[in-house]
Amino acid sequence: MASITETIRTEQVTTQKGSVATLVVRLALGFTTLFTWFDNISKDFYDGANFPGFFNDYLFVPAEEGGNGSQLFFVQSILNNTILRAPEFFGWVLTFVELGIALGLIFGVFTRAASLGAIGFFFGLLLVYIGGEEWIWTYVLLVSSAIAIFLNWGGRFLGVDQVIAKAKGESPFGLIW
Amino acid sequence: MINSVVDWLNGKFPDHFSPTWPISLARMLLGVLWLGTLRWKLPPDFDGGSERGLREWLELMVEHAAFSSYGVFIESVVIPNFLFFAWVLFLTELFVGLGLLLGIATRGAALVGLILSLNLLVGLLEVPGEWPWSYILMAMWHGTILVSGAGSLWAVSRHGSGAHGLARQTTVDT
Repeated sequence: MASITETIRTEQVTTQKGSVATLVVRLALGFTTLFTWFDNISKDFYDGANFPGFFNDYLFVPAEEGGNGSQLFFVQSILNNTILRAPEFFGWVLTFVELGIALGLIFGVFTRAASLGAIGFFFGLLLVYIGGEEWIWTYVLLVSSAIAIFLNWGGRFLGVDQVIAKAKGESPFGLIW
Repeated sequence: MINSVVDWLNGKFPDHFSPTWPISLARMLLGVLWLGTLRWKLPPDFDGGSERGLREWLELMVEHAAFSSYGVFIESVVIPNFLFFAWVLFLTELFVGLGLLLGIATRGAALVGLILSLNLLVGLLEVPGEWPWSYILMAMWHGTILVSGAGSLWAVSRHGSGAHGLARQTTVDT
């Protein structure tokens, strides 16, 4: 019995450490996303006139010609049929998605949704860069950070989600907070 | 066990308590990262083959040094003694990679990994095409594992709470 009590206490201490760790990961990923968003905005990266250039003049252009040399051409095909059909629209969408992810993670508000969005956003980046010059581990780190936050219910420790969950109970399917 | 997993999926644990295994998975992933980066600095010549090798990276650090004293150090101390530093770096990264992957001396490996990540951040800050946030994220993950002690689940070593983590699972389940 004493062993079980001791073990449960250890479980609590260990998971507390997990929570602190998740908080650090959440803040780091949130600020990384926020600063990148700000950098993109200040360079007018998401502007309808500039946005297609990233795909057409860099991403799938061979490395010898100064591009990244990405290799997943089915991804290129998907991009050609989605984002590049309406770059202005998707530029705005990504502007708000990136900002939403950043603020959600920093404040721990709707963290499950924000981290799920981050998984999709960064996994998309991982796919578009794969096989090219870009250091792919950057995107592996981003995706794994987002997954850790999602799996660990990142907003429940020093996050707004903790307050929301107490007031409103669990969100539908646990996918929002 | 299955009930615990279902409860956890439904978020049924105290508000500020969460499982450590995603952190442990990240720790193992970092181990793979370090072992993977060894491929372009393999002894005896530490040449990257078709990729950019260690010496070329060091030259880039000198050429685009964010801090002049750092560039001078690499140029006047490291590059003239390339083989010595290359071996040290190779063995250090091997230690960090295996330590994090297998959970051996996890905190020590995390500390060394943190220092290596910060060194990469400082050295590559101004190198064209490099994204400094990559190294900040790496430093953050190593710091997280080091400071919190989380990530010691599924660890070979008894240092930290590696074996302990496996033991607690067994006891709680019974």
